[in-house]
Amino acid sequence: MNQPEHRSPDRPEPGDATKPCAHCGLPVAVSEDPPEEVFCCVGCQSVYHAIQDAGLDSFYELQDRGGEAARADADVSHLDELDSEAFQERHTTLRDDGRREADFHLEGVHCAGCVWIVEQMPDFVEGVDVARLNLGRARLHVVWDPESTALSQIGEWLAQFGYAAHPARSDGHSRNEAGRDLLRRMGVTWAIAANVMLLAFALYSGLGPDAEAGLFHAFRYLSFGLATISVIYGGSLFFRRAWASIRPLLADPSSFQPSRLSIDIPISLGIIGGYTQSTVATVTGAGEIWFDSITVLIAALLTARWLQIRGRRIAGDAADRLLSVIPTTARHVAPSGRTVSVPTDALEPGSVVEVRTGEVIPADGRILEGHSAVHRGVLTGESRPESVQAGDRVHAGAKNSGDTLRVEVTAAGDASRIGQLLNWIDERDAQKAPVVELADRIAGIFVLVILLGAALTWGGWALSGSPEAVRHAVALLVVSCPCALGMATPLAMTMGVGQAARRGIYIKHEGALQQLEQLDEVILDKTGTVTEGDMEIVSLTGDLEAVQAAAFLETASAHPIAQAFERWLVGDAPDRVEPASRPPMTSVEEVAGCGISGVVDERHISVGRPEWLVDTAGSPPQRFRRAIDAGLRDAQTPVGIVVDGDWQAVCTVGDPIRGESTLLVERLRDAGVEVTLLSGDHTDVVTSVAAEIGISETSAFGDVSPEDKRAFVRDRVEAGAGGRRVAMIGDGVNDAAALKAASVGIAVDGSANASMVAADVFTTRGGLRPLIDLMKGSAGVMHVVRRNIGMSIAYNGVGISAAAAGFVTPLVAAVAMPLSSLAVVISSIIQNSFEEGPQPTASQPGRVEPRAARNSA
Amino acid sequence: MEVLYLLIPLALLIVSGAVGAFIWAVNSGQFDDTESPAVRVLMDEDESQE
Repeated sequence: MNQPEHRSPDRPEPGDATKPCAHCGLPVAVSEDPPEEVFCCVGCQSVYHAIQDAGLDSFYELQDRGGEAARADADVSHLDELDSEAFQERHTTLRDDGRREADFHLEGVHCAGCVWIVEQMPDFVEGVDVARLNLGRARLHVVWDPESTALSQIGEWLAQFGYAAHPARSDGHSRNEAGRDLLRRMGVTWAIAANVMLLAFALYSGLGPDAEAGLFHAFRYLSFGLATISVIYGGSLFFRRAWASIRPLLADPSSFQPSRLSIDIPISLGIIGGYTQSTVATVTGAGEIWFDSITVLIAALLTARWLQIRGRRIAGDAADRLLSVIPTTARHVAPSGRTVSVPTDALEPGSVVEVRTGEVIPADGRILEGHSAVHRGVLTGESRPESVQAGDRVHAGAKNSGDTLRVEVTAAGDASRIGQLLNWIDERDAQKAPVVELADRIAGIFVLVILLGAALTWGGWALSGSPEAVRHAVALLVVSCPCALGMATPLAMTMGVGQAARRGIYIKHEGALQQLEQLDEVILDKTGTVTEGDMEIVSLTGDLEAVQAAAFLETASAHPIAQAFERWLVGDAPDRVEPASRPPMTSVEEVAGCGISGVVDERHISVGRPEWLVDTAGSPPQRFRRAIDAGLRDAQTPVGIVVDGDWQAVCTVGDPIRGESTLLVERLRDAGVEVTLLSGDHTDVVTSVAAEIGISETSAFGDVSPEDKRAFVRDRVEAGAGGRRVAMIGDGVNDAAALKAASVGIAVDGSANASMVAADVFTTRGGLRPLIDLMKGSAGVMHVVRRNIGMSIAYNGVGISAAAAGFVTPLVAAVAMPLSSLAVVISSIIQNSFEEGPQPTASQPGRVEPRAARNSA
Repeated sequence: MEVLYLLIPLALLIVSGAVGAFIWAVNSGQFDDTESPAVRVLMDEDESQE
């Protein structure tokens, strides 16, 4: 039996005749005797030479050569959409000077060459004034003159380099503004902190009321003035959040739980306590001031928060790049018979739309005219397209891969089935308990300890007749202000999330890390997650030449099995034959549900179901019989090939299981996590796949609709008392609602966009290996979090005791507080949660992880 | 020491200038994208934009 290696055509292996592009490292097909430097595109070549000429060769030692492979031609089918008025209205803005501007997400940008090419646009496309590409966010900002150029021309120009432009749908502006606001506050508070510290130096080094009374008071008033700005401008952020966590308790004191108090409460307490005492001291001219500690505290905490927001933005941005599943415009067929482009939102039940080949059906409906195949993978996870004809129901989101259809809309927008699924994602799921940050859980106890400590200190000193009682109590409030504790969790997690992002794992919020560490169950989707998601020829018995002839014949069909043959033809076939030099085919006939026949190279060839072929060629010989049975046993589709009435070959076509699936299941098992397989595919296929990767039959469930998936996950989450931690790993839109319902939803590479939006974590590196890294990494991050929290509590314990004993002066606080914060910062930075093990593709130029352009399960 | 009455306000003036410059930089979006400009210097073509 001839077992071809499983590989997809867009994934050249080192053995193939490819060489890495000298600039970006993407594999380039080369001839027998390749030159020393090869390039994947003109852009790379230009940049390479520019870098060489400038003597910046070391760039190549430093740069990260990961990234997605450039596609030679981007999908241009949606370009017409760009010129429609509905689109212009929605995604572009008209400027005062008559120009229009818009933001696009560009698929496929990954290096300096891309920035260079894209920004050359104004020189090549007439009417384009500005093209600015943000490399990190893959966002293109274009300003153009609608009088002299159409948006589709811009799209076309980009498409010829392989960049697909999609309108940036989310409002990136507001998030940008939030980041900027925090950055401004940070800058101002650090400037103030530095100056107050300078003034404090003078005061600590002996500037007293006796020596230079004027200067002494001037310094203190100045510190007071600066600190006031810092407290109002920077500190207000903490006061507001602290107030937000107290307010519900004031309204309903019976609901008091220590865990509902946020860490902002002790922080605010420290700031306010220290500020009040210092203000009184300044005005009365006697006593100590804490302005230096307070201002540093505010600036440091704002920095931690800013880092946290920035870390989240990385993942949030990546999620925003995703395009919507439903097209924004539809071809509405007016009663007169003319088709007009209208926004999808404007469709109503009863209207008729036209869906051409390759387009996505914009609304749920019934087919009026046409006979075609639609790919419903987006909804059902089914990997085979179904043939549909007049009278059949179709759903929004399905792709028409056959002839033009006319569809009468029955439900559009939110009312459509996919609309409902997407709504579930948006809906703030009440069942999903908000993840309480570890530090917040301690915060409640913390507040009580501090208040009690302060009261005892004051009481103790007052009883002993000391006039310093208030001073010591305030010292306690200030020194125990949980700066390090407030930074412990966000810093450790932000650093971990950043490391993960560099390895192609995007964690949208830090709570996911916490959940991942103590999972009870992992639910895996089958199609596209455990398996590759695309049909491929898995085994091959018989004459290779016959298979090749059959594959030529199959190029005439759009059936997924035909696509498997086509993939084999470009990827694994022994001789590569250019489409132009393929043999002529005549009298090609496709029999729906059976197969295809025709004359190739003067031989009559039939390819299809063995049962169908029996009619023309009789029973297959023994060895083919065995191959067919073996295929069926492994839940694959057997395909027979008959040449001139003789059986020549049998292929089995299936969705190959990813190599790492077994490893992932094994690792999860070892960690004591229950593993379940869930799929919309037939139960037989699901149990067979489950057996293959080591999941027991009782934990494999097939024939599950998207709605049931969500219910299933929800049941599992609620199964245990107090809720279990269940991770759902999936890729299709059909998984999206389930991803949202799970404690942690993880979308794997090549996922449908809706599921990436719904997921808490998603990966952009191929395969399941990132998931193994993720499990290990989240444990590592949580270890650092606990280490940080341990250190801060130890510091606070010492601080509170010292303050109660009366040892803490402003100078001690000014030294001890930053030291404790620094310890936490260092501990967070030196973690290597996600950096262990073999390095990702970055260290292996020429080997680029595949990034299949799959949008559905 | 009287000179400090002059120097400290002067220092604060300079600081407020620096803070002002920082705020201007933030507002004009210079911190929104910290990756592409580094790459852009590699291109020695005349910038035809803006």
